[in-house]
Amino acid sequence: MMDRIFEFLFKYRPLVFEQGDFTFAAPGSVRLWLVAAGLVGAAAVASYTIARGKSSVTDRGIMAGLRVALFALLVFCLWQPVLILSTVVPQQNFVGVLIDDSQSMLLPDEDGTPRASFLEEAFTPDQSELLAALSDRFALRFFRFSDVASRIDGPDELTFDGTHTNLGGALDAARVELSGVPLSGLVMITDGAHNGDRPLSEALVPLQASGVPVFTVGLGEEAISPDIEIGRVEMPRAVLEGSALIVDVVVTQTGFGQLTVPIIVEDDLEIVAEEFVELGPDGEPVVARISLELEGAGPRRVHFRIPTQSGERVERNNARTVQIEVRGEREKILYLEGEPRFELKFMRRAVADDENIQLVVLQRTAEGKFLRLEISDSTELQFGFPSSREELYQYRSLIIGSVEASFFSHDQLQMIADFVSDRGGGLLMLGGRSAFAEGGWAGTPVEEVMPVVLGEPAGGDDGFFAEIAVKPTPAGLSHAAVQLGQAGDAVSARWDSLPPVTVVNPISEVRPGATELLTGTSADLSDDQVVLAFQRYGRGKSIAMTVQDSWLWQMIPALEDQSHETFWKQALRWLIDGVPDAVEVVTDQEQVEPGETVRLVATVGDSTYIEVNDASVTASITSPSGLVEEVPVEWTVERDGEYVVEFRPSEFGEYEVDITAERDGQTLGSDRTYLNAAPSDEEYFGANRHTQTLRRIADETGGQFYTPDNVETLPDDITITGAGVTLVEQMSLWDMPFLFFLMLTLMGAEWGFRRIRGLV
Amino acid sequence: MAQQAPQVQRPTFLSALGPRRDPEEASGRWPFYWTRAIYSGYGRRGFRGGGGWATDYPKGDRQFLVVLKRLVRLDAYDWENAISLADPQLRRFPVVYMVEPGRMDMTEAEVEGLRAFLDAGGFLIVDDFWGQREWSQFEYNMRRMYPDKAIVDVTLDHPIYSSYYDIEVVKQVPAINNARRGGTSECYGCEPWIRGMYDDEGRLMVIINFNTDLGDAWEWAEDPRYPLEYSTYAYEMGVNMIVYAMSH
Repeated sequence: MMDRIFEFLFKYRPLVFEQGDFTFAAPGSVRLWLVAAGLVGAAAVASYTIARGKSSVTDRGIMAGLRVALFALLVFCLWQPVLILSTVVPQQNFVGVLIDDSQSMLLPDEDGTPRASFLEEAFTPDQSELLAALSDRFALRFFRFSDVASRIDGPDELTFDGTHTNLGGALDAARVELSGVPLSGLVMITDGAHNGDRPLSEALVPLQASGVPVFTVGLGEEAISPDIEIGRVEMPRAVLEGSALIVDVVVTQTGFGQLTVPIIVEDDLEIVAEEFVELGPDGEPVVARISLELEGAGPRRVHFRIPTQSGERVERNNARTVQIEVRGEREKILYLEGEPRFELKFMRRAVADDENIQLVVLQRTAEGKFLRLEISDSTELQFGFPSSREELYQYRSLIIGSVEASFFSHDQLQMIADFVSDRGGGLLMLGGRSAFAEGGWAGTPVEEVMPVVLGEPAGGDDGFFAEIAVKPTPAGLSHAAVQLGQAGDAVSARWDSLPPVTVVNPISEVRPGATELLTGTSADLSDDQVVLAFQRYGRGKSIAMTVQDSWLWQMIPALEDQSHETFWKQALRWLIDGVPDAVEVVTDQEQVEPGETVRLVATVGDSTYIEVNDASVTASITSPSGLVEEVPVEWTVERDGEYVVEFRPSEFGEYEVDITAERDGQTLGSDRTYLNAAPSDEEYFGANRHTQTLRRIADETGGQFYTPDNVETLPDDITITGAGVTLVEQMSLWDMPFLFFLMLTLMGAEWGFRRIRGLV
Repeated sequence: MAQQAPQVQRPTFLSALGPRRDPEEASGRWPFYWTRAIYSGYGRRGFRGGGGWATDYPKGDRQFLVVLKRLVRLDAYDWENAISLADPQLRRFPVVYMVEPGRMDMTEAEVEGLRAFLDAGGFLIVDDFWGQREWSQFEYNMRRMYPDKAIVDVTLDHPIYSSYYDIEVVKQVPAINNARRGGTSECYGCEPWIRGMYDDEGRLMVIINFNTDLGDAWEWAEDPRYPLEYSTYAYEMGVNMIVYAMSH
């Protein structure tokens, strides 16, 4: 509306003034005109000065001022003010029209018409003014785009079945295709929901460099209401069979208010969890934390959904499917204990029936004498604690019980630290007389790996001893390792029901960056005891469990109470969770559609986890129909130990990718991953109009952003702002209605003043 | 007059023992307490007014601990620790020693207490009872806890015989009086027998030293009249049982 008023008063739209250079077109020297203007003004002032009568000096001053202003305006018009514009030459330039061909274009707006209906209105030959106006001035080239862009003859070829929208890819394709012709600009018609992998800025820079403006036309509503959307599901890509998983589900709503809805989790059509979530205010995401357990090894597709609510506008954004690999391997953990302790016995019992954990025990029973349990063969640990990295790194995690630091050589202590930082293993340190500061661990290479701050060793003959009640911290309440098989408020209640335990290592502080999950309170302690804390360290993680007799949680409660077993099962699974292998492979996307490119990224290390760049790496890709393709995977050069290959699935279904790495004829390792090729629902998520993105594209390239309501000015705007073959045009301003109104106003003001002052 | 040798005050082992446990304080200051089960019985009133449970008590316990701590790296409480099977605190001590159960007659509370202890993961070492009559009495009390659980031989291939020492022969350990006389058995034709009871997961939870008396060997090991062969075996067996019980 404001633009229309502006155009009425000033003859042209604001954009013309923005683009044009102001000047005067009247011939003759400026000085001459200035002299003439000065004479006219002086004559006007003099006439008022000379005049006598009943007027005061002030009256004469005001009237003289009004008259001078009127003369000045006349002089301004006589100077012939103009705007100098560079406009494109009609029919000598091209304009690329890029039209979103993805599924989201069929989403209905509030009035029930799909977004794509705009195209019918705007681009029907012989009916559309917009198309006619564009065609009159430019040679039009149409492109459709979704995940890829391609030339089309006209909008009637659009099918709206694309499952992704790649704005950057479309701009690139059109720019390259039209690089040989004079290009005035690109018109991009889309909802702006960019879900391609490549950053948009990579496509904008070449356009800026070549001076091609992009005019964006945004379709759809800014907010789709009412609607509920599962925005994101955060779940690890692999988990050990039977492990408790904590999954974050991000849910957003508009128009439903703070409704409580269920999130249903299904694994192979079987409901494995259900959690109710109270939705947040409009547009504000809330995170629902869901605890679940997956049984049975192999690749799984876990389905999260919220039942469709009454009146919901988009149903397909209520569900997300996430791929996860449930690993059935038996993982080895080395537990070194410095003396016979019940903690060891009961931890072994807790995980005895866990087929995925092999808890290898090395227990010192006397000086130089060890009891080995759960060893794979008679040579394992035959000389005690590993003295080489190859030997230690075969374990995925390490538990150190009540063992003094002086038990180890300096090399072994450094090796333990490297085990966490380089190998990516998990380290768990338990409380005890010879643990932490009391065991002389302060000042060793392992100290900085620990998530807790070691103080001075507890002194005195009796040392430190306190009985504490353990409860979860706020962080612990939502951590899988301390859920004790419960959910919600029941977690705290279960911890409250457990008997107190004892500590002999006073620890009250965690390191910066570490997280405390369990805390202990006692009337005898001025500061709460850190009971369970962890931190990431290098590639791995370290955990401190400062209690010395968690076995009391097994012995004291009623027989049916499984808290102790559950705690240690989950804690040990957490300990080995995410510990890498020397050779690993991942895909850069969890799910693709047939025809889409996916990158296989392999990391290759030797038995000491040092990256290997000269390995021979092969990927064996088995398609859903059983076809096996072997492709070499090449070192990227950019990063040590990283090998990459791209492949394009051609079938729907699950692909199995096996990677094998060899060097000098010796196998370094192998790994397997899965990739699901399936139709994507991505277009239904974040399907509202992304005005900010579209404005950014226009602003950064010198174009304009439009909606269907104001798109009729697009042809004119391209004419004056576009690139290509242009000519210079003068646009006169002397006849602007505004100037005429201003003159009338000045004349009327003088006349009115005279009447008021009785000077007529 | 012959010159007298200077009197040397030899330290007794008791003088080397550590502090006593504060009864008000929670157990746990020491990771291990050698714990003796107090149970109800009949007949012979045992040592110092106690029942059969108190046989060799407390000297046997203290002496066993001294040797145990020399042999094994174990931060154990130095003193005896006797507790009733009916006491809820029993479950704070996951290894319990029971002696002379041949005249045992547990109360219902003791039956419940011992069953809960074993079900939770406790380990019971039984010692020093002889002959069929005492076996029957012991078995009767076990049946009150577990009517259907089998009592089976713990054969020499069981890991308990190799958890610390490698024990290849089960010996009959005599009481001090028999040992002085040169015999071992307290009943005619009685053979030493190590039997056990397993939990539902197949874990040994009760080890029964029948027709043998490890406790007397522990108690009298310092007596030169007690044969070294048997005291050595008794300590080896004792160490193995404890190391096994604390790791399995």
